[in-house]
Amino acid sequence: MEFRLSDEQRDLQSTLRAFVERHASGEVVRAAAEHGDGLAEPVWERLTGEMELTGLAIDPIHGGTGASFVEVAIALEELGRTLVPVPFLVTVTAAHTLSGEGIDADQAAPLLERIAEGCVATVGLGENEVTTAVGAGGVILDGQLEHVADGAHADLLVVAVDDQQGPALYGVELSAEGVEVQARATMDQTRRQATVRLTGAPATRLTSVGDAGAAAVARAGDILSVALACEAVGTATRCLEMTVEYLGERVQFGRPIGSFQALKHRCADLFVALESARSTAAYASWVVDGAPEELAIVAPLAQLVCGEALLQIASESIQLHGGIGFTWEHDAHYFFKRAKSTELLSGGNRHLRRLVGQRAGII
Amino acid sequence: MDLSVSAEDQAFRAEVREWLAQNLRGEFEPLRGTGGSGREHEAIELRTEWEKALGAAGWIGLGLPRNVGGRGATLMQQVIFAEEYARADGPGRVNHVGEYLMAPTLVEFGSEELQQRFLPGILKGEELWCQGYSEPGAGSDLAAVRTRASLKDGHWSIEGQKVWTSMAFCADWCFVIARTEPGSERHRGLSYLLVAMEQEGIDIRPIVQITGSSEFSEVFFDDARTPESYVVGEPGDGWRIAMGTLGFERGVATLAQQVGFQRELEQVIADARENGTIDDPQIAERLVQAWIELRVMRYQALRTLGTIEPAAASVSKLLWANWHRRLGELGIDVRGASATVLPAEPYELTREQAVFLYTRADTIYAGSNEIQRNILAERVLGLPRG
Repeated sequence: MEFRLSDEQRDLQSTLRAFVERHASGEVVRAAAEHGDGLAEPVWERLTGEMELTGLAIDPIHGGTGASFVEVAIALEELGRTLVPVPFLVTVTAAHTLSGEGIDADQAAPLLERIAEGCVATVGLGENEVTTAVGAGGVILDGQLEHVADGAHADLLVVAVDDQQGPALYGVELSAEGVEVQARATMDQTRRQATVRLTGAPATRLTSVGDAGAAAVARAGDILSVALACEAVGTATRCLEMTVEYLGERVQFGRPIGSFQALKHRCADLFVALESARSTAAYASWVVDGAPEELAIVAPLAQLVCGEALLQIASESIQLHGGIGFTWEHDAHYFFKRAKSTELLSGGNRHLRRLVGQRAGII
Repeated sequence: MDLSVSAEDQAFRAEVREWLAQNLRGEFEPLRGTGGSGREHEAIELRTEWEKALGAAGWIGLGLPRNVGGRGATLMQQVIFAEEYARADGPGRVNHVGEYLMAPTLVEFGSEELQQRFLPGILKGEELWCQGYSEPGAGSDLAAVRTRASLKDGHWSIEGQKVWTSMAFCADWCFVIARTEPGSERHRGLSYLLVAMEQEGIDIRPIVQITGSSEFSEVFFDDARTPESYVVGEPGDGWRIAMGTLGFERGVATLAQQVGFQRELEQVIADARENGTIDDPQIAERLVQAWIELRVMRYQALRTLGTIEPAAASVSKLLWANWHRRLGELGIDVRGASATVLPAEPYELTREQAVFLYTRADTIYAGSNEIQRNILAERVLGLPRG
């Protein structure tokens, strides 16, 4: 059992850390978040172009790099550090979902090839009332999806739908007729959402029929949970770093406020929460490919633990920064809004805790 | 990163499990579940015999190098042994201090003479140890120790008092931090002495705790003697050695402890099912949260296994101490009013009552929560000293 990253994994981490510091700094994030459509387009072009990041865990036969979800997790954490608005998380969630068991490989292959080339995919995995029917050219979908992350930036949607054969995943081209994508204004400006209306929208069934297909739908949600957990660790790490730096610089009563024990002890508790989250996310990132039988429990557990750590750190960060932390010009609010929005979109921490309890057979 | 378990480790696990099944039975069968925190007074004599059986089979000092009599086992094998031991409900070990604190200190800092004199006794389970650090005026502030020792006729003569010495009542030896340079202050002028407990100059007085039982004692030194050569490191270098003793790898012990925690939690969950309190959404949520946090502690311990950085040790201590204390509270909340009545006079406790009361110590001993937070803030996060 070895938790340490391999040399290649460390290289990936340091390459991405350097890239993000250079090309996705605070100003870049702020500009993308506050102006335009909430997409750091030049950053995304480089990530999908020269860095081929969307193909990281896609099989080389579809044009990917063939890494595991551990490498994806490393990338999520590094991008999470700056909250740079790029649709990486949803795209890799879709890609990893399509690479698993219970997926109709013939249908998934062309989609994986496009994602490896930089196509943006997003997911709609929450409960919905979308219905399926047979149209002239094949299956069509009707219904409305709310809170589709990066929906306005995506080319492709992977949506979970209950059809006559049970839970299934369908692929929808968002540029097709019968699809209307409406960008929404969001409290967290670093991860935009869209409402997607499907009116006889052409779709492709991506899961195979039977238990394996149903398991693939469940797995998709679990992959999303783990992805959010890994990203949250990066975000929380940067947020705590920023806070500790400030406490060392800000002088009141003639001394740096970080020398006051009342503040020190709170930072220590935040560090404990962060370390716990880091270990949990690391374990979960390995479970995705290394021990899939554990995923159903570990995924919501990781999302809960990492999401709570991020929210605790982000909210304490504002308080520890004092007045400056309450301003629009300071970055603290981005972290806070990301943390709470992510929790609410998951159904809330109580829901996640309940899910773990049920899946573990405790309640 | 690869978290899979190797075939060798699986085979080692099977070997340990088999040995425990074959040996923790017969005369030793009654030992299952005895000892442990809050119940260290149980079955001391038989547990001391069991320690010798473990030593004879080579299960003590697994991680020590072969050339000093250890087994040179990997960290993961040490974890496996400890986990299997806990899973078999093996009794609380009477020589935890000797095996995990004294033996590695001797290997790292001790002279060859001291290693030859003391390691075999630990590895055979024949000589038990206790730790002489804390004093009435030196708790969190260990450098304030006032116990002093001076050389007389080739022996150290020790005067002073230690407190919170666990297992002192059954220990054969104690490692004592004493001031050997008159007039020295703080962490200078201290020495790390090895002192026999069975002698006229030592008086042991058990401390009756919140649980009504005693695993800690006060130890009084009044011209207690030990040979001049029974000092680890150089005289005056005791602080460095004392810190070394506290700085050894702790992940193995942490992971072993979690097996016991899991059993305690399962008992609380079973209690909640039995009396229906699990239908109370708040109790259910606390049970699930405890289960989740125990998992998280395992991931944390596995990720930091083998590291000796202060971050890992302090995070681990804060996590488990707070977790265990909350479990104690949850355990009796589940029991409700019935938890207020003792099973027997004069002050016999149920398991959940013992956990509830004993865990108030968890957040105090071995570096209180407050000290751990200071360490994290100053040494790990680099916040300025006040």
